[in-house]
Amino acid sequence: MYMKNFKTVIGKTSLIFAVSLLLFWSLGPIYWSFVTSITPPNDLVSSELHLWPETVSFEHYGKLFGATSISQGNEVQSIWPQFSKAFANSLVTSIGATLLTVLIAAFGAYAFVRFTFPGRDILFYVVVATMAIPAYTVMIPLYRLMISLSLINTHTGVIFIYISAFLPLALWLMRSVYQAIPISLEEAAYLDGAGKTYTLMRIVLPLAAPGLIAAAILTFLNAWGQFMVPLVFSPTLATKPLTVLIPEFVTRNYIDYGLMNAAGIVAIAPPIILVVFLNKYLVSGLMAGSGK
Amino acid sequence: MAKLEISNLTKNYGKVEVIKGVDLTVEDGEFVSLIGSSGCGKSTLLRMIAGLEDITSGSISIDGRVINDVEPKDRDIAMVFQNYALYPHLTVAENMGFSLHLRGVPKNEAKIAVEKVAETLGLTPYLDRAPKALSGGQRQRVAMGRAIVRNPRIFLFDEPLSNLDAKLRVQMRLEIKALQKRLGTTSIYVTHDQVEALTMSDRLVLLNGGQVEQIGTPMEVYKKPANIFVASFIGSPAMNLFDGILHRDVEQTFVTVHGNKILVPNCPKLTNGTKVKLGIRPEHLKYAATDSGNNIINMKVSMTETTGAETYAYGHFGDEAMTIKLNGEDAIKSGDKISLTVKTNLLHVFDYVTGIRINN
Repeated sequence: MYMKNFKTVIGKTSLIFAVSLLLFWSLGPIYWSFVTSITPPNDLVSSELHLWPETVSFEHYGKLFGATSISQGNEVQSIWPQFSKAFANSLVTSIGATLLTVLIAAFGAYAFVRFTFPGRDILFYVVVATMAIPAYTVMIPLYRLMISLSLINTHTGVIFIYISAFLPLALWLMRSVYQAIPISLEEAAYLDGAGKTYTLMRIVLPLAAPGLIAAAILTFLNAWGQFMVPLVFSPTLATKPLTVLIPEFVTRNYIDYGLMNAAGIVAIAPPIILVVFLNKYLVSGLMAGSGK
Repeated sequence: MAKLEISNLTKNYGKVEVIKGVDLTVEDGEFVSLIGSSGCGKSTLLRMIAGLEDITSGSISIDGRVINDVEPKDRDIAMVFQNYALYPHLTVAENMGFSLHLRGVPKNEAKIAVEKVAETLGLTPYLDRAPKALSGGQRQRVAMGRAIVRNPRIFLFDEPLSNLDAKLRVQMRLEIKALQKRLGTTSIYVTHDQVEALTMSDRLVLLNGGQVEQIGTPMEVYKKPANIFVASFIGSPAMNLFDGILHRDVEQTFVTVHGNKILVPNCPKLTNGTKVKLGIRPEHLKYAATDSGNNIINMKVSMTETTGAETYAYGHFGDEAMTIKLNGEDAIKSGDKISLTVKTNLLHVFDYVTGIRINN
């Protein structure tokens, strides 16, 4: 009895420790970023370690959102115009890539599961295998291709690249989602008088919704966090996203830690909102009740 | 309602032939069961009728019209699946009304039709529920309801009761049979359960290895199995089969089994001294008054089982295993040596090599 209790205590303690470690690992940087963003510029260079700033200041956020702001004692133009444009660019490319990727994956994966055609499985594995190719190896040919298509510095170009990069994962995910849906549901619909397209739209896709949402979340998060692709293909503010803009706050003489972290905190808002919102639909057990 | 004709139907998966030239006619309003062990092709045959499997050769026609190349959605056939295949994201009413909605039936008409069928199946209180909020038996009813609402030309059932518990299965068996009689819709029912096949069907089709072994009414199949396969498949416990030699003299035909003389019905085609298989159903063996003479089987009992109403005794006649079915009250125990007798007209004689029935 004593041993059993002892084991339970050890087990629980280890679990709590592991979870705490994980939380610290994932949330620690975000906390530090947040704290930095609300610390007055002068305190940022203090030699003492503060887990919470002695005085809370929204100066950095002011620099981000205000019309003008004070930087190193001088009144300067706010970076809001740049920031908002980059924010919009991030949204346009991420949402565009997400919608198209999920749309293509929804239909493409269905074809890979339910249609039989020569080389079906080989083709699928070839598509999935492209995930193993390092992005850097295709960067130069891709750049030449995009130039010849006049897609450099366009949202369309970046969206195309994102789709080609994230579609294999979405296809893979959706394929296993469709494989888990009993074919008898589709057969029942055919016998009820439904055509193939109607069955896909009305029966299969609603049941695959959790998979579609998971694919959407993964694609959006991947696209939102992209740095290298836009660094190369979005050279100007016309298409430059936040991930590329924020590091530019590093100037030759001065690194604006506060501003970078304030921008970073704002930049993580959309993914958080998206995940929280879509998570509601990520219910498991949607298939319950179809069979025995 | 419709007449279904299947002619020389075959189905190949690559080089494997799973349906080997099936011929079958199902009359308008008839209830026909396809029965056989796993892998005999019964479900494949049903799916071919539904249009869910391609036909390699032969034809399927409904009321004289060949439907080989007609899409499932245009066949006007309803099917109840083994796993029910209810649409989990739709309510019971939506599940049942799905086909009506597709056919463009006005909403209020469809609603009335669904409610009417729901009432006969006792589903009225559940119409707004999702399938996951129902029990297995209720889901089964919804699957039935979805088929009935459409008023199709043919019902197909693919082992619809196999997921239910024993008690519910008996109840649903009776309900399906009553419903089919009332609606008069041509029905084809796939099962591996001989009790279901025997009790529900007007006729049953025994399939083995993609071929039809026998087609007949339940009584025909029970009383006159066409061959050893049918004889051992239908009936529980399975028919006893003994090796014997056929003898014929002026007055009588008999088979000798382990030295005992068993008088059998006339087997005109066989010559004296032919090796045969003699079939005796366990329920047709009764206690004999003597232990010698004609039609006597001497059994050494090695094990008994009782279900209360019935007692099964397992043992040997000579070196061949046998089973008998007795009254539950009969006192019998392992180690007993008993003498049994059987009436000549209840005996079955099969060809030793081909397994085909010989006596009338």
